[in-house]
Amino acid sequence: MKRALVLVLAALAPAALAFTEAETRAIAAHGPWPPAFAPDPSNRASGNNDAIELGERLFFERRLSANGEHSCSRCHVPERNWTDGEARALGLERVDRNTPSLSNVRVQRWFGWDGAHDSLWAQSIRPLLDPRELGLSAAQVAALVRGDADLSCRYRKVFGGIPAQDEAVLVGVAKALAAFQETLMSARTAFDEFRDALVKGDAAGVAKYPEAAQRGLKIFVGKGACNVCHLGPAFTNGEFHDSGIPFFIDQGRVDPGRHAGIQKLRASPFNLLGLYNDDAQRSTATGTRHVRLEHRNFGEFRTPSLRNLALTAPYMHNGRLATLRDVVNHYSTISPDRLHADGEAILRPLQLSERGTLDLVAFLETLSDGGGRYARRPFAEDCR
Amino acid sequence: MEERGGAVRAQALILALAVPAAQACELPGGPTQKLQSAAHTILYRAAPALSVGEHFALELAVCPAPSELRVDAWMPDHRHGMNYRPSIRALGGGRYRAEGLLFHMPGRWEFLFELRAPGGSERFAHAVRVE
Repeated sequence: MKRALVLVLAALAPAALAFTEAETRAIAAHGPWPPAFAPDPSNRASGNNDAIELGERLFFERRLSANGEHSCSRCHVPERNWTDGEARALGLERVDRNTPSLSNVRVQRWFGWDGAHDSLWAQSIRPLLDPRELGLSAAQVAALVRGDADLSCRYRKVFGGIPAQDEAVLVGVAKALAAFQETLMSARTAFDEFRDALVKGDAAGVAKYPEAAQRGLKIFVGKGACNVCHLGPAFTNGEFHDSGIPFFIDQGRVDPGRHAGIQKLRASPFNLLGLYNDDAQRSTATGTRHVRLEHRNFGEFRTPSLRNLALTAPYMHNGRLATLRDVVNHYSTISPDRLHADGEAILRPLQLSERGTLDLVAFLETLSDGGGRYARRPFAEDCR
Repeated sequence: MEERGGAVRAQALILALAVPAAQACELPGGPTQKLQSAAHTILYRAAPALSVGEHFALELAVCPAPSELRVDAWMPDHRHGMNYRPSIRALGGGRYRAEGLLFHMPGRWEFLFELRAPGGSERFAHAVRVE
């Protein structure tokens, strides 16, 4: 009887497909997850619990906006996996791009769709000052910190004092915000369980992974070659590509993407070559020092991580594609004529069947942890 | 890292093969790749070892030392180069360090070395595969 029951259960369980050695190697490269924490040497507040607590307060602080009604959490909504569900974000005004999720943001090399910033703290300054987002000045941010007993106490606790220069106070605020955002890591997923089981040769563990997802994964690392750009444990190479999404914003306006991003990076007083980098060795500034500006960068946007992808619709830099199926269809039917003539020759239409499309979507859905894990931590009422 | 012989892309390009050096040329510190023409020998190694998505440097010895060395890399199959322009530091005695390289995709890359010397220029190419 017991044996019969086991047989029935086995029949109901998903089957394990055979993966070649090359496929197994490619799949193994997408883990392990999660990565170990490594503090950001450019931010002396990175990994500091007091900074994380201050950053969390600031993240939800509505006084950090010109109208006193918005905060970072207006667009980076915890319940929406730190994005907002809008095609293009709405701060004080509608902006040009989709709100990127903050999940796993600390593992990125470049920040923002155009990579105009080379550290999480520098990126955190941008929306504070952007007149369409939170619309503040450095003086207003500094005045809030200096004028609020609790915030100023917490700021001093993290940084040892409040600088006289407004810009330096702004940078401290951004470094505390970054320390908080570094804690926003997605959890393990069904894919991670499968990947680890495959690496260990655990057939029973492998067989628990849905068969459609296994077929989709084969497309991802095989015919689709999606892992050429969506590589590694975070499923991104951290770089920039023209994926055939039109970069017109409104009539007569275009989004130059990475091309303008590199120029903004170089002009920023907050880049890693500047005086606000806490790392005297500039050990994380290699990319900033060597980044190359080319014509082909026009219309390129950062390759997003695919972790928690199912929780971050709509998709692409301008939210043009509503669903994961739309994204797969985009790459299935992409016209090479839409891509830069002098750009890279990577994308070609996948021409997936209906079943192939569903399988690839099924795989992508297994990269999500289900969300809903964040809960604001209780704070001590008074800072001493 | 899988090594492959260099591919000829232009008349001026020297086919880079792992062949014995015609003259003493050394790069102490570990195994190297060797490229050679009648006029020059290049020894190089990556530090840290090549991996996709991570910055690395190249340590080089060029014999005899050229008046100028340029280093770059591209993916011939994808028709694109790196997103970073390496900087070259001459360390003296024909030794160099190229910094700021990054392979942002897996697959076949080709290192390009350009030597400028009073007798003319030479270009070497050497293909590597990273996964």
